[in-house]
Amino acid sequence: MAAISKVAKYKTTVKEPGIPGVLKMMEDVFTFTPHDPRSAMKLRVDFRNIKGHKFSKDGSKQALLNLTQDSEKGGGYIFEFSNFTERNDCRDFVGKVLGKFQALVSKQNDQPASEKSAVSLEQLSTIEMERRMKLLREDSELQKLHKELVIGNVLTESEFWATRKNLLDDDSDRTLKQRTGFKSAMLADIRPSTDGRTNKVTFSLTPEIIHQIFAEKPAVHRAFLNFVPSKMTEKDFWTKYCRAEYLHRTKNSVAAAAEAAEDEELAVFLKHDDILADEARRKIRRVDPTLDMEADLGDDYIHLPDHGILRDGSKETADSENDLARRTLAQDVNRHAAVVLEGRALDIELGDTRAVAEALARSKQESSADTLDENSNLERQERVSRMTEIEDLQAPHSLPYAPLCIKDPREYFDSQQVNALKALGGTGAGSKTIDYNLNTEEAYSYLMHQISEVKAQGLHNPIVQSEVACKVLSGLTQQISSTRYHLGKNPQESVLDRLPERTKDEIMLHWTSIQELLRHFWSSYPITTSYLYNKVLRLKSAMTDIYQKLKAIKDVQSDFRHQISLLVQPMLQALDAAFAHYDAEEHKHSKKNGAKPNGFVQ
Amino acid sequence: MKFQIEDVTVYFPYEHIYPEQYEYMVELKRAMDARGHCLLEMPTGTGKTVALLSLITSYSLSRPGDRPLKLLYCTRTVHEMEKTLAELRLLLSHVPPDLRRSLLALGLSSRKNLCSNPTVLSAASRDSVDSACRRLTASWVRAAAAEDPAVPTCSFFEGFDRAASSSNASVLLPPGVYTLQDLRAFGRDKGWCPYFLARQTIRYANIVVYSYQYLLDPKVASIISKEMQRECVVVFDEAHNIDNVCIEALSVSIRRQTLEGATRNLNRMVQEIDRFKATDATRLRTEYNRLVEGLAQRGSLPITDAWLANPALPDDILKEAVPGNIRRAEHFLSVLRRLVQYLKGRLQTENVETEGPVAFVASVNSQAGIDQKMLRFCYDRLHSLMLTLEITDTDEFLHIQTICDFATLIGTYTRGFSIIIEPFDERMPHIPDPVLQLSCHDASLAIKPVFERFQSVVITSGTLSPIDLYPRLLNFNPVISRSFTMSLTRDCICPMVLTRGSDQLPVSTKFDMRSDPGVVRNYGRLLLEMVAAVPDGIVCFFVSYSYMDGIVNSWNEMGILQDVMQHKLVFIETQDVVETTLALDNYRRACDCGRGAVFFSVARYF
Repeated sequence: MAAISKVAKYKTTVKEPGIPGVLKMMEDVFTFTPHDPRSAMKLRVDFRNIKGHKFSKDGSKQALLNLTQDSEKGGGYIFEFSNFTERNDCRDFVGKVLGKFQALVSKQNDQPASEKSAVSLEQLSTIEMERRMKLLREDSELQKLHKELVIGNVLTESEFWATRKNLLDDDSDRTLKQRTGFKSAMLADIRPSTDGRTNKVTFSLTPEIIHQIFAEKPAVHRAFLNFVPSKMTEKDFWTKYCRAEYLHRTKNSVAAAAEAAEDEELAVFLKHDDILADEARRKIRRVDPTLDMEADLGDDYIHLPDHGILRDGSKETADSENDLARRTLAQDVNRHAAVVLEGRALDIELGDTRAVAEALARSKQESSADTLDENSNLERQERVSRMTEIEDLQAPHSLPYAPLCIKDPREYFDSQQVNALKALGGTGAGSKTIDYNLNTEEAYSYLMHQISEVKAQGLHNPIVQSEVACKVLSGLTQQISSTRYHLGKNPQESVLDRLPERTKDEIMLHWTSIQELLRHFWSSYPITTSYLYNKVLRLKSAMTDIYQKLKAIKDVQSDFRHQISLLVQPMLQALDAAFAHYDAEEHKHSKKNGAKPNGFVQ
Repeated sequence: MKFQIEDVTVYFPYEHIYPEQYEYMVELKRAMDARGHCLLEMPTGTGKTVALLSLITSYSLSRPGDRPLKLLYCTRTVHEMEKTLAELRLLLSHVPPDLRRSLLALGLSSRKNLCSNPTVLSAASRDSVDSACRRLTASWVRAAAAEDPAVPTCSFFEGFDRAASSSNASVLLPPGVYTLQDLRAFGRDKGWCPYFLARQTIRYANIVVYSYQYLLDPKVASIISKEMQRECVVVFDEAHNIDNVCIEALSVSIRRQTLEGATRNLNRMVQEIDRFKATDATRLRTEYNRLVEGLAQRGSLPITDAWLANPALPDDILKEAVPGNIRRAEHFLSVLRRLVQYLKGRLQTENVETEGPVAFVASVNSQAGIDQKMLRFCYDRLHSLMLTLEITDTDEFLHIQTICDFATLIGTYTRGFSIIIEPFDERMPHIPDPVLQLSCHDASLAIKPVFERFQSVVITSGTLSPIDLYPRLLNFNPVISRSFTMSLTRDCICPMVLTRGSDQLPVSTKFDMRSDPGVVRNYGRLLLEMVAAVPDGIVCFFVSYSYMDGIVNSWNEMGILQDVMQHKLVFIETQDVVETTLALDNYRRACDCGRGAVFFSVARYF
């Protein structure tokens, strides 16, 4: 890992201006040298003291990087960079270094826990390790869990990750990343603010707003591409735009016309948007024919000029000679909704206006290239026929089913069974391979058959005992009504928000660890190896600890005692069930062992 | 589903049938058995269209003969036509294949909606598309193109013409259901003109779906529906305002712009006549000779030359020679000039005037020296002259056409019309905008030929009450006249009337209350609550465009619109049809994809 150095400002709090200087990062240490040699703010910090790092979002006001010393205290070293790319370089560097240190720490912890897993851990590629580290860094909850369970010696590193294989899968991580669409709010409809004393009005534009303006007003977009930076600066451009918006907003058409006559660039913003008109003409040909009212105009011979009855109030020819378009709110709203519905096709980061404008132009070209083909025609036909059908008279449609798609079935099933398999030590000779290769049709029909059988005969052992279900239901109803009584109707507020911050965090943490532990606990049954037996023992002791802690939380006297106990109750019950199962198994086991006195583990 | 109604096997595309639908079919069948007209009212949403289509198709399938019963299905709009064709497609998929093979159904619309030629399509309005088509396909243009390849023609029409002349025209289009889109696609594949293909094929098709005007407006009907056989069932769907359509078909209005345009047209025609005199004088002489022989119309014109036909109903057109004093082109033009001058004089009035056609014709006669017979022949004479002068840009000549339509109508009819001259629009009394309207009062005039020509006419709609009004309005004797109620199989409607807002203040769209900010806010809050709770789509109706405009603007100012947008996309109907169509399409897509939307509507177009 080579060292990097960047120009940055060091500050102790976000608000203060900061000291300019050079930040240099090396493999295990980073230094900061101020430009001003007299300044006392020279730094040399070992990365081992750094526990984490935080950073401001791309596109936000400042490019900040905060290297935290202690996650609880929050204090740390804050650096501000001149742009985001430099910041990101440093951020990634820090990420790598921290990842390495954490890996070292967890390795050390793993060593005594289980030799076997340590061996397998060493076989892991560095890429795999990096992925794990990255995940831990990105997900603070996961990190906490990892800290508590793995470093607390309850689970081994590999056990912990075995159930999270999907997270580690880099590809799925990438595809699952959701693309954000446009905001529903009309950002492009910017409103000026006045300071109240002078006649000055202020418009504020953010990259998000600018992107929306470009998407909704192609004429502005085109003007930007044409004028900036050859004819005017970006700032001038937006000033002009805001001026035009202001004129439009005041609805002073005379002033607008006068301004437009003087300034041809300004006129661009006020004129009728010809690109939009073109687009409308293109889109109208693809519109669903069953609601194409435009086609009526082309068909209806009553609309022959001067034929038919004039002035019955329905036919109003609004002829505007003014070439400055009278853009109405309705048009803006429609345009906005249409753009939101189309969705955003840009993958680049907002921030650089020019880049956004160009990317938008490219994506537009692509979308206009695809013309309507036979396929879309057929699709439309199908849709139209679906629309016209009278559902009430139709027999219920057989539901279409999508085949279940597991990308790598082995991986999927392995993730459940991985511990047991590993314990077998690769001696899979005894396991039979059965041909489970049913095609989807067969599987589906088999399933349907099973379901219909159940329907006909009922379940022999109902999945849920009716008394239990009844109990749960009444409990829930009671709880809901009581919370509702306490909280009122505000849907945003939840029970958790009313608890003290500390209690809330504690409960949340316990909840996630309980989930994790229980998952491992139940997946260990039936116990087939001594390895699993040991694991269950470990799990049980960890669960007992948490059980005690939960009890303690529950017994604390406070205003929220009732609420907390309601929250904690299901967790305790889940743990109780696990303990009961453990005891029952233990009991059975000891009985069996009586027959086999030499302590043979099955 | 397949069932019997008396001797007819009915194919029905659904598993179940509403009792009303069955009743409806039974009544319809009786009317068809009696070969009479009928009037049927059945509520919206109970599947009228499918019941009609299914019974009439099954009926005609059950009685094969050399002239099987044909269905002319008239809709008010093109999108209703598309819906009907979609239902028809569904129905035909439930008809046994061997019977299906004999069925051909298609929709017909204007060139604007069917044309495939890109140069023609670039024209904006329907009239300019029509004339752009004529410029490429008129018989004299094609004749010129045969000699000089540089003259542009339409490859699609030429392709169609070759195919039509080389094979039997009835087999050009294979059996099936063709929407406008399908016709365009078929035409594109074959290189044939979809419009003329459709025009040709409607003669052979079993089911034709088109709009009211194609049967009711004599200007259009005598070109398009002239050759329909008597054995037809004509259905007017959504016919609750059929009387309006009938009246509008025979009404003409003349404004100042019309008269100015007509004067320009006349000047242009004088120039054309001078040009022809200099280059090709024989042509005008031939026309004169033909008129002397009493042939106003040139017999059957090539399909592409026909323009809007005589505005008078076919039976009322005088089959006589054109009067002598307008046979020469120059004389005819000077008659028209005098008429335009007279009308200009009449428009300069300060008061609203009403007059009957007889008095009006008498006054034209005394002041402009044009008698009733000359007026009556104006249309024919103009049409003949325009063909002689080989005018292709018909969209430019609509003004003089309007004047001649007006002249022919007042020359033909003495009853059922009145002429109204208004000096200004009553909404804007300060701006002089005089208009002279020839209004038809008698809806039965335009529909009379339809009742006489066709075996059964079915008038149906969701609301035809009072049902006995329609036979009197349209002057016919239905053999069946019935009104059905609706049975709901499930609770699907929950009407609720709201009189107070959440602050207990009364809300209403009453005129004196509607602009009260409290009322506006209360409506806004109501919408906001609905929008937050209702999945997918919401339609919100307003009493008028101006009210909608006002209330949406105030919601915008109050921030309610922004709150609504947090939950749903907002689409607004405007007076611009293109904008509204796109908004509606987007609204539907937003509902389909789960994004959810609210549509603000006045429902003028629906």
